[in-house]
Amino acid sequence: MNWSDIVGLGLFASGLQLAMPTALAAVGEAFSERAGVLNLGLEGMMLGGALAAFAADYHSGSAAVGVLAGVGVGVLLGALKAFLSVTLKTEQVINGIVLVIFVQGVTAFAYERLFGSAGTQPEIPALQTVRVPGLASVPWVGPVVFEQNVLFYVSLALVPAVWLLLQRTSFGLAVRAVGESPAAADSVAVRVDLVRWLALLVCGAMAGFAGAVLVIGDVTLFGTNVTAGRGWVAVALVIFGRWNPLIVFGGALLFGITDALQLRIQAASGGSNSAVPFEVFQALPYVLTLAVMVLATVAQRRSAQPAALGIPFRKEVIE
Amino acid sequence: MRRLRVPALLSAAAALVVAGAALAGSQGSGSAQAKVKVALVLPCPTNDGSWCQQAFVAAKQLQKEGLIDLSYTSNAPQDTAGASQVIERYAANGAQLVIADSAWQDAAFAAAKKFPKVPIVYAGGGKVGGNVSTFEEPIYQPAYLAGILAAGITKTKVVGALAAFDIPLCHAQAVAFIKGAQSVDAGIKGVTSYVGDWNDVAKGKNAALALASQKADVFTVCGGGPASGLISALKEKNLSGFGYVGNQNGLAPKQMVGSLVYNLYPIFKAIVQDVANGKYKGKDYDLGLQSFKLMLNPKYSVARIPQKSLAKEKQVASSILAGSFKVPYVIK
Repeated sequence: MNWSDIVGLGLFASGLQLAMPTALAAVGEAFSERAGVLNLGLEGMMLGGALAAFAADYHSGSAAVGVLAGVGVGVLLGALKAFLSVTLKTEQVINGIVLVIFVQGVTAFAYERLFGSAGTQPEIPALQTVRVPGLASVPWVGPVVFEQNVLFYVSLALVPAVWLLLQRTSFGLAVRAVGESPAAADSVAVRVDLVRWLALLVCGAMAGFAGAVLVIGDVTLFGTNVTAGRGWVAVALVIFGRWNPLIVFGGALLFGITDALQLRIQAASGGSNSAVPFEVFQALPYVLTLAVMVLATVAQRRSAQPAALGIPFRKEVIE
Repeated sequence: MRRLRVPALLSAAAALVVAGAALAGSQGSGSAQAKVKVALVLPCPTNDGSWCQQAFVAAKQLQKEGLIDLSYTSNAPQDTAGASQVIERYAANGAQLVIADSAWQDAAFAAAKKFPKVPIVYAGGGKVGGNVSTFEEPIYQPAYLAGILAAGITKTKVVGALAAFDIPLCHAQAVAFIKGAQSVDAGIKGVTSYVGDWNDVAKGKNAALALASQKADVFTVCGGGPASGLISALKEKNLSGFGYVGNQNGLAPKQMVGSLVYNLYPIFKAIVQDVANGKYKGKDYDLGLQSFKLMLNPKYSVARIPQKSLAKEKQVASSILAGSFKVPYVIK
């Protein structure tokens, strides 16, 4: 086995690309959960954003229009989730799962209707790689991080932006407050339901954008369930990242690069005649992230979970 | 979904008996064949560029030729209970043949229990009996031919096989592709990688890049998502590969040597004719290379394929069709 072929710069460049949609969705989920709303509809929001981004890019010929459409549909689905969870106060686990099944059905149906007449599989053009002047020549880091497409850079910038929004603004403070103690927040005139609504819109926008990054920035086509469970992985990564957007992002990168690594180990390890079943390699990213999560939780000795996560807020009326 | 009531079931069964009698009558009188009422059940959209599209196109062709009356369901539920419900609904509503185009063996037999008189066919090979048939998907046969061409194209002497899962269909295809290449040059090495998902295009692309990092420069692929991912990787790295199930040559005209194209028309036609002639009984329809062909891409520079390889591919293909050569079918 030639390890220099396996753990080369190519591994990190493609691993980052593989990780980015999951990372964006996970950061969005962290935001929503910090406001106290568990959004299991994430996979559906990504998938909806992916189809909208693909269809809009395909028909307009503009990647920017595609991205806007993806974000737009993400926000709409965020609004649907907010209506169900915050306004109607229905059970959050159930309405999230229902949302995913709903979007999976709708996207499969809509894709067939929208592109049914096309003889060959419709495609959109790939984005150009943009070398960042100066930074791209930095050894090691340059070719991995600064020779990517424009959506990758936007994604990189969005992650600290979400963190700043959460940690350094009054809105972010309100989000954290309604996630920990909505009654206390309410007592100081924070409008709990409004803040949760907005947090879900942010989460929807991130998930929709993640779908757009996947189809426009990477695969350049749409297929049934093209998101392939990334939304579910993202939900798990939020727990891994202890509800901190930056650690969540780091966890997603670790997961993505390990996933790319196991594909390379498989390729190098004897292929179809390998004595080791491929499922062992497949499990590697999951095993690694689980192990890190257990270690981190043991080391911290306390849960970082927002206290009001999953609990709808009902204002107590004192007479 | 509304529940079927018992009287509805009885009247449907009665209608079937009448229809069966009518069919037998028309056969006896030697008049023109009546159209066979065919229901096609697909687990994916009709424009998936792969299994479902190929089946849909074949059924449409039979409809155009006036051989069948076609009704269909796309995006059908894939689980046994869900799929058998769709099959049963068609059987209850007078379908004379239900083609359930997925590995729905259990669903087919579950439906056959309630509608033993209705011919039900599922895809992918397996158990047959009563009125339940299956048809084979012998992708490994054209994969062997693709391997012969790959041996002529590869510069690195490494060929790659990418697959969604290590299931018999994909395993046999990968092994046949590599063995085909090695039949020309025993020094060629084969590398494989499994994605672990049927739909994951991004991961498929990554897996293809992983194989390329092991020097593979000609590829075969098994699985719709991985196939799309491979095409994307081929274009990015300007490597060569073969399309999967549908004709994917146009998706990367410069990189696709050809496609392993599944042609269900002769299969469906054989089944429909058996039903129309009253000769139908549960069996395994296996049309080998007649149903799964290697379709070359005229836009791929033929100069990149040595004449010698093209000649050998032709010769082996005709020996397969003549039955004098059997492509090795290797599963785990």
